[in-house]
Amino acid sequence: MNAEKPSYMREVLETREMELNMGPQHPATHGVYRAILTLDGERIMKLNSVVGYLHRGIEKWAEYRTYQQGVPIYDRLDYLGAVLNNHGIVGAVEKLLQLEVPRKAEYQRVICDELQRLASHLMWFATHALDIGAMSVLFYGVREREPIMDLFEAHFGQRLLPNAYPIGGCRLDFPKGWTEACRKFLKALKPRIDDYETLLTGNRMWRQRTIGVGVISKEDAIAYGLSGPTLRGSGVCFDVRRSIPYSAYPEFDFEIPLGTNGDVFDRYLCRMKEMRQSIRIIEQALDGMPEGDLKGKAPKIMRAPMGEVYFTVEAAKGQLGYYIVSDGTDKPYRLHIKSPSFINLQGLNRMSEGALIADMVAIIGSIDIVLGEVDR
Amino acid sequence: MDTLLNLWSTIESWMLAFPVVIYLVKIGILLGCVFAVVAYITLAERRLLGFYQSRLGPNRVGPLGLIQPVADGLKCFLKEDIVPLNSNPLLFRLAPVFAFFPPFAGFAVFTFALPWVMPNGRTYHYSVADVDLGVLFIMAISSLGIFGLILAGWSSGSKYPLFGSLRSASQMLAYEVPLTLSVISVVMMAGSFRLSDIVAAQQAYKFYFFIPCIIGFVVYFISSVAEMNRTPFDLPEGESEIIGFHTEYSGMRFAFFFVAEYANVVFISMLAPALFLGGYDIPFVNDLALYGAHPNIVSILGVCSYAAKSTIFALFVIWVRATFPRYRYDQLLKIGWLVLLPIALANLFVVAGIKLFLLK
Repeated sequence: MNAEKPSYMREVLETREMELNMGPQHPATHGVYRAILTLDGERIMKLNSVVGYLHRGIEKWAEYRTYQQGVPIYDRLDYLGAVLNNHGIVGAVEKLLQLEVPRKAEYQRVICDELQRLASHLMWFATHALDIGAMSVLFYGVREREPIMDLFEAHFGQRLLPNAYPIGGCRLDFPKGWTEACRKFLKALKPRIDDYETLLTGNRMWRQRTIGVGVISKEDAIAYGLSGPTLRGSGVCFDVRRSIPYSAYPEFDFEIPLGTNGDVFDRYLCRMKEMRQSIRIIEQALDGMPEGDLKGKAPKIMRAPMGEVYFTVEAAKGQLGYYIVSDGTDKPYRLHIKSPSFINLQGLNRMSEGALIADMVAIIGSIDIVLGEVDR
Repeated sequence: MDTLLNLWSTIESWMLAFPVVIYLVKIGILLGCVFAVVAYITLAERRLLGFYQSRLGPNRVGPLGLIQPVADGLKCFLKEDIVPLNSNPLLFRLAPVFAFFPPFAGFAVFTFALPWVMPNGRTYHYSVADVDLGVLFIMAISSLGIFGLILAGWSSGSKYPLFGSLRSASQMLAYEVPLTLSVISVVMMAGSFRLSDIVAAQQAYKFYFFIPCIIGFVVYFISSVAEMNRTPFDLPEGESEIIGFHTEYSGMRFAFFFVAEYANVVFISMLAPALFLGGYDIPFVNDLALYGAHPNIVSILGVCSYAAKSTIFALFVIWVRATFPRYRYDQLLKIGWLVLLPIALANLFVVAGIKLFLLK
């Protein structure tokens, strides 16, 4: 950077780099994430991520709980996508115990998963836009998310962290009128998303703030192990729902939106398009809801066979994986969570090369981190 | 009625004996009105933003939340005033004053209507000091306000406010020149720096200056939004990025910055109609006095017309805040120097041409 400065500045003015603590308490770090920035003016020379302020020891905690007891805590990882976390752990235990999940339960899971993805993306949309300064969008996003929370409340009895699925299936059928309410909500949401796209996608200021900012190439994105919309924004077609199919996803017809440049704008577009795809999936699932049993044949005491299992789902932030090592008891010997936010956050260094503080805020927003998941 | 008039003439003779009293009374009335408007524009903005954002906004304190500004002021007044150890205490205490007084001082040169005529024939002007170089004075005094921001950030002894003050310094470089150039086009049309002359010229030409200076008006609007530090140019504040130049301020000192910001909004919203929208001229009516209206009615209607124009301008500013994202500070510099400055200069030439050849 010094070499680029005109010679008179180098001789007369001695400039020093400045260290700035962004976080752990900062409105745009979406929680207790801390970035130690080395700055030249407002330009970022070096970025040092510090995580762990929200570490709760969930992986260790899990070793002292039976499989059923442990389920609710994983909701607290990505607290904006609780149902998806739940699907991950439940799926992992089912894979470990080789349990059969009834088809109707799988359909119900798909519906709730996609609703949760919508809720998470809407929350991302709201906060990301607020970070870039479009304050009204915050309220629009939260407003659209509210009916989803109501639907969850009606079905699960809980809004944010519903402890959605038991191991082996689903608990209850959708309550009376739920399906209609859900359809009504989806019908209302579609034009709203169009509205928000006209508000931001075509907005010159929004485009100037996001296009060409926080670029990460296809190769780098793969090398850093990014996943989810953060990866797909760079044009890599990897979606667990399609690539490593699970649950009832192979039965549905949906597209995987891809970006081209891997900048903030592409990641934004990816998520916006993904919301539309989620609506498509939910509608198909509601239409094709099969008859039958909801609860599978899950044993009361779950003694897992010796061995290890890895199960991933496409969470709202990316690929969420649970790795369980079983020693033959009813508790996991070791449980590891591959949380998408944590791994996506690694890409921040590459994305923020030469960015300004204002860009940094946009980039963090575009990665869509949730610190509960980063720190576990 | 007669006793009232007699009383008035006694007061008037006293005031004429000590002319400074007239000024003090006028200043008192003006400051009272400005403070009330500033207080209620904060409420208006919060309520309006509420409606834009599908929520209600503050509506608990008094009917429709009308006492909310009082509650806000009281709250700020009762808060602890903290001066950080790391700061430069003198400048830290001085900065809010620097930010606070320029917009209020600027109101002095406004003329709000045609003069009021007393039954005894004496006229009173709706202005504290309608000086010859009113526009120049406004330009000078409103640029002073930025010092408050710069000093506040610099003296806080903290890094985020420092960024705020650096940003506001660079922001000033971006907007000040196009702003002044767009105002100069109006001055050129009117041939005077005096605000009442500018309005009178618009009345005489029978068109408002935003018609010949339409480009200038747009440039003025954009750069005045930057001067007010409001979205999309609220960079010194940048609440989601650097929290702002006033991060370290609390209580009443913070309230001073807050009031100064809204006073600036009111100030610019009143300046723009005077320059571009005919000020207290009543639109679509050439001269009310021709219809036999009493001059006092004309002046009251003039105040209303001025207030309506300013309100529309202020509402527009609030609307902009509810709609747009924030620019980056290097982008603002680019806009200022590469877009606004050339078109402001072009506007200057166009207006000069109009003035020279079309309005001979």
